[in-house]
Amino acid sequence: MTDPSSAPDRKPGLDPQASTPDPFDPANLRLSQSFIETAGVKKLLTTVPVRKPGQQDFVRVHPDPAYRENFPIIEVKDEREEYIVTNELVPALIGEFVTKTLFTAINRQGTIFFWPVRLPAPDGKNLDWWRSSREAAELAMGTWIRVRANMNLGAYDIFKADGVIPDPEWPPLGFWELIKIAFRDHLVDRVDHPVIKRLRGRL
Amino acid sequence: MPDVFHEIVVVDFEFTALPGERPGPICLVARELRSGRRFRLWHDQLGSRPPYATGADVLFVAYYASAELGCYRVCGWPMPERILDPFIEFRNLTNGLPTPAGASLLGALTYFGLDAMGAAEKKEMQNAIGGGTWKGRFKPEAILDYCEADVDALVRLLFAMLPRIDLPRALLRGRYMAAAAAMEYHGVPIDVEILARLRDGWASIQDELIAAIDKTYGVFDGRTFRVEAWERWLVAHGIPWRRLESGRLDLSDETFRQMARAYPAIAPMRELRSSLAELRLNDLAVGRDGRNRTILSAFRARSGRNAPSNSKFIFGPSVWLRRLIRPSPGYAVAYVDWKQQEFGIAAALSGDVAMQVAYRSGDPYLAFAKQAHAVPTDAIKATYGPQRELFKQCVLAVQYGMGADSLALRIGQPRIVASDLLRAHRETYPTFWRWSDGALDTALLTSSLHTVFGWQLHVGESPNPRSLRNFVCQGNAAEMLRLAACLATEHGIEVCAPIHDAFLVCARLDKVDATIAAMRAAMAEASSIVLNGFELGTEVSVTRWPDRYMDTRGAVMWERVVNLLPHRRKATA
Repeated sequence: MTDPSSAPDRKPGLDPQASTPDPFDPANLRLSQSFIETAGVKKLLTTVPVRKPGQQDFVRVHPDPAYRENFPIIEVKDEREEYIVTNELVPALIGEFVTKTLFTAINRQGTIFFWPVRLPAPDGKNLDWWRSSREAAELAMGTWIRVRANMNLGAYDIFKADGVIPDPEWPPLGFWELIKIAFRDHLVDRVDHPVIKRLRGRL
Repeated sequence: MPDVFHEIVVVDFEFTALPGERPGPICLVARELRSGRRFRLWHDQLGSRPPYATGADVLFVAYYASAELGCYRVCGWPMPERILDPFIEFRNLTNGLPTPAGASLLGALTYFGLDAMGAAEKKEMQNAIGGGTWKGRFKPEAILDYCEADVDALVRLLFAMLPRIDLPRALLRGRYMAAAAAMEYHGVPIDVEILARLRDGWASIQDELIAAIDKTYGVFDGRTFRVEAWERWLVAHGIPWRRLESGRLDLSDETFRQMARAYPAIAPMRELRSSLAELRLNDLAVGRDGRNRTILSAFRARSGRNAPSNSKFIFGPSVWLRRLIRPSPGYAVAYVDWKQQEFGIAAALSGDVAMQVAYRSGDPYLAFAKQAHAVPTDAIKATYGPQRELFKQCVLAVQYGMGADSLALRIGQPRIVASDLLRAHRETYPTFWRWSDGALDTALLTSSLHTVFGWQLHVGESPNPRSLRNFVCQGNAAEMLRLAACLATEHGIEVCAPIHDAFLVCARLDKVDATIAAMRAAMAEASSIVLNGFELGTEVSVTRWPDRYMDTRGAVMWERVVNLLPHRRKATA
C-alpha cells in the first residue's frame, strides 16, 4: 500500500513520448503537506507531578526497569509535598525519611506523573496499603488499572479496564530527566534546607 | 513577463447578466502586451474565433475570468489553454487578511496603490450593462471606452502582481475558471411549472406551513416565533438546548441543525424556520430555458471553495427545494459525490495508516468503532447502527473541530460519552493528530498554510485554531473539486453544478451511464493527483425523466408543501 503522505510525488499524466515534462501538469505541482516534519514543534514537559493515581484515573506504569528507582523521601504532610534526600544527607536524616519506589506512570489524558510506593520498613513492616499499592503498580505495567482506597479493607482495591485500550504513548524523555523536572524544587541537598529547618523546629 | 508565452492577451468583456440567463456579450476589448496591439469589438463583430492568437503559448489574462469565459462559450470560441486570473491570485495573496477595499478589480488596484481609474463613477453604466438597460442611455463608443479602461487597469495590476505570482499553480487555478464557466453555462434543470406555482402561492403557503407544522409545537404567533413558547416546549420534552452568554436560547440555524440531528422531533421546526427565514423563491435564478444558473463565486471562501448565493442557487440551504430539480424529457441527471471525502483526505495527507485502512474498508465509521474496540470485528451496520452513528458523529465532530460539549449536544448524550469518543479518536488515529497539531503549529509559526496546489490561508490577528486545523482538509477538498471539474468539463461532460463534495451532471438517457462512468473516472483521477496516489471512491444517485431529484433530508417538507398546493392547482409530485 502506498503511503501518500511520504511517497515521492508521482508524475501521472506525462506523455512518455514527450522529451520534457509538462510544467503545468497538476501532478508536477504538488506541494508537501507533511506538517509533522515541517512544523518542527515539540511539546515541552515542564511539570511532572508526584502523587498517587486519582480515584477515577486509569493508569499505566512504564514497564522498563530503567523507569523506576528507590529514593529516600521526606513527606511534608502539611503541604502534601515529597522531597528527595541526597545520598550525602541520608546518614544525618535517618528516621526523617522513608524509602519509596518512584514508578513512572501515565493516565488516559497522557499526563506523566511519578507514583510513589512505600517499600517495607526496615523492621519488616509491610502495611496492606503499601503492598496493594505495589501490586497495583506492577499490574499497571501490562494493563490499564484504577485504584481506590478501601478503608474497611485497609488496602487499595484494584480495578482492571474491561475494554481494549491502546497502550500509552510515553514521552521521549529518560527517567532521570523526568526526575529532574519533578524534583527540581524538591531536593533536600543541604543541611540548612527549609525542610530540615522545619523538621528541627527552626525558622 | 513570463517568457514561455509568445503572446499575452489581457481581455475584458462587457455583457448583460440577467438572473438565470447566460451572459449576453456586448463588446470585447483586449490588449496583446508583447506587440501592443489593441482590439475593440462590438458584439456584432465578435465572429467565430477570438481576434488574437490562441493555443498553449498564449497567456490569457482576465479579472474574474469565468465571466469572460462564459462569453467565450456563448460566442462558441475555443477555451484558452493558459488562463491567468489576477482576481484569484489577489485572493490567494490576501486570503485570511483584511483588504482595504475588497477583492474587486478596484479593490486590488487600491491594495497595490495603483490608479483606480474612477471606477466608482461608472457604477451607473455598469448596472445598465449588466441589467441590459444600456440601449438609448449609453453609446457603444462609451461602453467600449469603459471596457478599455478596465483592460488598462488590469494591465497595471498585472505588472504589479506578477513578481508575487507562482505562475504554474496560478495557471492551474485559472484553468478552473473555464470549468466554472462551463458549469454556469449549463446550469441545473428545474421544474419551472411547479416553481411558478410555488412562487404564486408562496405567501399563503408559508402561513399554511406554519399552521400545519406548528400544531405540534404551538410556538408561532402569526409569523412570529415566540422564544418563551419554544423554551416551554423544550422543557416539556426534556430536550437540553444551548444558551448564549446572555442566557438566552441560541436560536441560530446551526444549533437547530445540530439539535435536529440529535432529536428528530426538532427537524420539522428547523426546516420551517429555515424556509421562512432564507427562502426567497423569487431570488432563485432560473433562466428562460428552465435552468438554474448563478455565478459560482469561485475562490470566494477562505478554503478556496465556491460560494454561490444561497438564495439564487438551487443547492442552497433549503434542502427540500432541491426536489424542483428535474431533467428534461429524454434526459437524466446524476449526483456523483466522493465517499467520506474529508475523512479520506485526512487519512491520505496525514499518512495515518489506521485511518487509511478505515477509509478503504468502505465504511470508515464502523471501521473506526471496530478499531477502537467498541464493537466486535465482525460487526455490521444493520446490527450495530447506533454505535456506528456515534462514531460517525465523532468523526464529523473532529472534522468540524468540535469539542466534547458540542459533540454531546449533537449526539444527545452526556458530555462524558462525547469526551470518551473524542479520546478514542485521538488514540486510534495518533498520526493524524500529530499531523493536525503540526498543521496548526506551522500556521502559527509561519503565519500561513497552503494546499497541495498552493492555495494559501494567511494567519491574521486572533487566529482561530479550529479553522486553521480545518483549512488543510477543506482547502484540499476544494483543490480536488476544482481539478475534477476541469477534467470533467474538458472531457465534454455536461456538469450542471458543483456541490461541496459532489457534482450534478446531465446527459441523454442513452448516454447517462457512460457519462457517469466518465465523471467518476475524472473524480478518481483528481483525488489520486491531489492525494498523491490515494484514490477516493464515489457514489452515484441517478434521476431519470420523468422523476425528480430526491434528497431524503427534504422529503417531509416537500410533501407538506406539495400537499398545500392542490387546492390551487394539483401538482405532480
